[in-house]
Amino acid sequence: MQPVAPLIELEGLSVRLGRREVLHQISCRLGAAGAGKAIGLLGPNGAGKSTLIRTLLGFHKPSAGRARILGHDCREGSRQVKARIGYMPETDAFVANMTAVSFLRLLAEISGLPSEAALEKAHEVLYHVGLGESRYRTLGTYSLGMKQMAKFAQSIVHGPELLILDEPTNGLDPSARRRMLALIREMKEAHGMIVLLCSHLLGDVEEVCDEAVILNDGRVVHHANLEEERRANRRFVELEVTGDDKHLAGSLREQGAEGVNEGQGRWRVVMPAGVELEALWALLARHGLGVHKLTHRRDSLEEIFLKAVGRLQRTPGEEALTPKEVPTHGGL
Amino acid sequence: MAVYKRGYQRYTGVKTPHRDRMLAFPRHAWKRLMEQRLVVLVMLASFFWPLACAVFVYMSNRADLLQGLDGGFVAFLQVNGNFFLVFMNTQAAAAVILAALAGPGLVAPDLANNALPLYLSRPLSRLDYVMGRLLVLVGLLSPVTWIPGLLLFAMQSGMAGWGWLAANWRLGAGILLGFVAWILLVGLVALASSALVRWRIIAGALVLSFFFVLTGAAQIIRQILRVEWSVLMDPGNAMYRIWRALLGVEALEGPGPLACGLALVVMAVLLACVLERKLRPVEVVS
Repeated sequence: MQPVAPLIELEGLSVRLGRREVLHQISCRLGAAGAGKAIGLLGPNGAGKSTLIRTLLGFHKPSAGRARILGHDCREGSRQVKARIGYMPETDAFVANMTAVSFLRLLAEISGLPSEAALEKAHEVLYHVGLGESRYRTLGTYSLGMKQMAKFAQSIVHGPELLILDEPTNGLDPSARRRMLALIREMKEAHGMIVLLCSHLLGDVEEVCDEAVILNDGRVVHHANLEEERRANRRFVELEVTGDDKHLAGSLREQGAEGVNEGQGRWRVVMPAGVELEALWALLARHGLGVHKLTHRRDSLEEIFLKAVGRLQRTPGEEALTPKEVPTHGGL
Repeated sequence: MAVYKRGYQRYTGVKTPHRDRMLAFPRHAWKRLMEQRLVVLVMLASFFWPLACAVFVYMSNRADLLQGLDGGFVAFLQVNGNFFLVFMNTQAAAAVILAALAGPGLVAPDLANNALPLYLSRPLSRLDYVMGRLLVLVGLLSPVTWIPGLLLFAMQSGMAGWGWLAANWRLGAGILLGFVAWILLVGLVALASSALVRWRIIAGALVLSFFFVLTGAAQIIRQILRVEWSVLMDPGNAMYRIWRALLGVEALEGPGPLACGLALVVMAVLLACVLERKLRPVEVVS
């Protein structure tokens, strides 16, 4: 079988802005080209996320190493790369005295759509993102949320293969944020786009992405396959039960699970691979225990993130029940 | 099906060649410029002098109309290098005013709201962007410069006959080359001003002052230091000397067309450096 080409390939990439080196010798391989996937780029402020994106777009010149995107060098094959991507920058980006429809039409034409098709796509996309009624208003009169949507619209108007989104939910209220994330998921799942989502909001990445790269201080400090993490989290259960639970630990061991009693009916359980939650429910019923709470771990990405950036030494309760770290196809 | 009913579909059709994409800028910009009343008024006003010159050309070729007129006046009605030099001077001034009105709206709005990353994340280089914006001015200034100039030349050739054309073909080439050089210089000044100053009125004033202030400065230096080379600082005067050479008109004292050409090239390079420095998708503050 042919090895799948990575979407992004970084080899010892360093980027210097002025006198400061922002990215230090980054090497990793992200994603697989040609599939509807989403990759999250996480990191605290100043970690180098936007610099990495701009380097991939050819805006910054690497001071050492190289970056390949969609199989092309990001400097030498810049035109081929840019023909296949859509980019939504983090900051405001528009022409204030242009209407949304003419701005999108212009950008679509620059991307290579014939004039008539560009106009049609501009209308279509603006309706799709919910700006249909205000498409003839000048962009300068738009609210912050509308500007975000207009920025998103321009990034998809030409139907790119790869969508690079830099903090797409910045400044959005909860409902607009949900709408934005739904649109991003739709681009990935229904239209087969590959999404590179740069965010400092873990929830956004967790909700949309299949893998995540964590940057800190210009270095890749973790690369996680979120699908695998989710599967692992399904086996990491927090319980609150009522009743006599002193024999529960033994029964869990018989099932191949590990359980730690934290007192007052609180348990942390790691289920073995292949054993589903139904087995745990059956076990609890057999012991006659009432279940107050049963949750999968929902904060795993936050813990991974905090550990990766050095703000958390270990997950609480981890000494007994270390969830298995998922091997990644990149690495540091 | 109506667009609002069908939802989003990725575009999978044929894409246009690269050169056509640059033309998207002029297409959109001209439409917007023609919506500005002042630009249209100045443009219309710029056609009066070519019309007057056309009447002059017509008169000079109608011997029957000139009979009985004063000999000095008849001698004045000659279509030659001097006639086209006066025409070019007037139209060059109109071109500067038009560029001052239209130029600042080309780059400044893109910089004011950070639109450059959106353009440059598409298959478009910075050079393509500048060329696209320059084409807007080339398209706007051409109808008031070399196009009427060549029409006058064609009119004179048609009325005076092949003999005149054979003897004066150099005038046609001079008009074209001279105006193209002027449009490029004025276009670069307008784009650089627009890139330097994001407030359109100030950027427009900067375009005008580039020509008038430098002219004034060159005159002051010339008067105080009694040096002729100061005309090299004056883009209008330098271009005027080049035009004289192109149209075969007697040269003035002082720097020749080659020195003037070099001075203008240096100015153009400096303006290009301003554009190179300011037109970046992201600004790096070190």
